Amino acid sequence: MTRPGVAVAILLFALGCKKPVQPGDPLSGLFEQQLDRFARGKIVFDSVFTPATGLGPLFNSVACGECHEKPAGGRGDEVEVHATAFRGGVCDALVQEGGPVIQRHAIPALKQALGIDSEPFPPSATARALRTSPVVFGRGLLDFVPDSVILAYADPDDKDHDGVRGRPNRFVDGRMGRFGRKAFVPTLREFNAGAFVAEMGVTDPAQPTEENIGGKPIPAGVDAVADPELSQEAFNLTDDFVRFLAPPTPLKVGQEGRRGRQLFSQIGCAACHRPTLRTGPRGMPALRNREFAAYTDLLLHDMGPDLADICLGQAGPADFRTEPLLDLRSAEHFLHDGRATTLEQAIELHGGEGSGARDRFKGLSATDRAAVVAFLKSL
Amino acid sequence: MQRSIRTAALTAILLVPLATADPADWRTLNSAQAAPSSTYRGTIRAINARTGTLELITGVGLSLRVVEITTARTTRILTASATPRLAELKPGDVVRAECRRTSAGLVADQIEKLKVGAP
Repeated sequence: MTRPGVAVAILLFALGCKKPVQPGDPLSGLFEQQLDRFARGKIVFDSVFTPATGLGPLFNSVACGECHEKPAGGRGDEVEVHATAFRGGVCDALVQEGGPVIQRHAIPALKQALGIDSEPFPPSATARALRTSPVVFGRGLLDFVPDSVILAYADPDDKDHDGVRGRPNRFVDGRMGRFGRKAFVPTLREFNAGAFVAEMGVTDPAQPTEENIGGKPIPAGVDAVADPELSQEAFNLTDDFVRFLAPPTPLKVGQEGRRGRQLFSQIGCAACHRPTLRTGPRGMPALRNREFAAYTDLLLHDMGPDLADICLGQAGPADFRTEPLLDLRSAEHFLHDGRATTLEQAIELHGGEGSGARDRFKGLSATDRAAVVAFLKSL
Repeated sequence: MQRSIRTAALTAILLVPLATADPADWRTLNSAQAAPSSTYRGTIRAINARTGTLELITGVGLSLRVVEITTARTTRILTASATPRLAELKPGDVVRAECRRTSAGLVADQIEKLKVGAP
C-alpha cells in the first residue's frame, strides 16, 4: 500500500473507532472554554442549596443533581406532583394558588410560621399529575431545532389520515413550546430558569420573585435571602452544563436490534418518535447543523383517556409531548409518571393517537416484539 | 484631516463589536425574559373593563406569576378592531403591555393584543 493509502486507511479506522458518547458526556466539538464552563456548571448543578443559600421556602429538591443523577443530568427516582384546572376547555395553571408544580417540602422557618411541611394542594385544581425526572441529555440540541422543522411534522387535522395528528403547545405569551411533558416551555434557558424557582425555591435573575404559599404571601422573616438568590453567572454556568450535555450514542445492536429498529418504523412508532432531528444554522458551532438521534417530534399528541391527567397551556389533559427516547438503556420506569415498569408495558399503555402503533405492536409475533424492545434498550 | 481620521477610527472602534457579534448569538436569543423591563407579555387571566384593570399571567418556564396592571385614560389599546377598546380584550388573549411603575402599581401605557399561531 502506498503512503497516502496507509494514511487514508488509518484515518478511516480512526473515524470508525470514534469513542461512543456516554451518558453525562459533553457534546463533541465544544471549545476548551465551553468545556471549562461545562465542568463549572456541573458543580452548580450538583450544589446542595440550604435555606441560607436560597432554598425554599417551598421546594421539591435541594439540588438539580438530586433528581437528575447517576450521572449528573440523568434520571432520578423522584416523582413530583403537578396540578391545574381544566374547565370548559380552558386551562388554568392555578398561578394564584401557587402554580402547577406542587412543592412537597418546606424549610424549617416556614414550618414554624405556618405549621405546614409542604405546599397546600390548590383547592381549585381539577386534576393531579405525577411526573418523573427525565434525563436532560441532548436538550441543547432539541433547543436549536427550528420551529419550522417541528411545525412541518404537525398535522392537526390529520390530513394524511394516519390517525396521528400532532400540534404545538403555546406558552402564556403565545410562543411555541417544546420543553416539559406538555411541551409548554419555549426554550431550554427558560425551562432551566423556571426549574430553579419551581423545584428548589431558588430565585434567579429571570424569575426574581418567590412563589406565594398557596395564594398567600410568604410570612415575614421566613425567607431572609435577598432575591435573586442565584447569580446570573451561576445560572449561566448551569444552563451551559445542561445545554452541553450530549445525547448518548445508541449501543451497537445485533441482528435482533436491527430488525427491531426496522419494525419501530414499520408499525408507526416513528410517526411521532421521529428518529432524527436537525438543528438550525444558527448558534454555536457544536450545536448548529447537527443531525442527532432524538426520537421525538416535540409536538403534542392525544394519548387517550387512560393516560390523561392535567392540562397546561393549550395541552388538554390527554395531550402529551412525544417523549424523546434518549438513554432508555438505564430507565427502570417509563411514561411521564413512571407507571410502566417495562418497555413492552409502556407501549401497550399508549392510547389515542398512539393506539394504531400500539395495536400493530401487539399484533407482532413474540420474537418481533422482543426485537422492538431490544432496539429500544439500545437507545 | 486629523480630526476626520480620529472620528473614523472612533467610529470603527465603536462598530467593531456590532459587526463581529453573532446576530444569532444563542444567549441573546433567549434573554428577553431576563432583561429588566416594564414590558410584560402574557395571557390575560382576568379583566375588568369597568375598573380598567387586568391580570396577566407571565413567567419563566413552569414558574408562573400574575401581574396586576391598571389602565389609564391615556392607555393605548391596540387590537385588530378599528376602534379598539379595553372591553374587547378577554381572558385567554395574549397581549403585550408596556407599563410604568407608579405608587399605585403598574400602569399601562399601551396594551397590544397579539396574534398567536393556530394551535
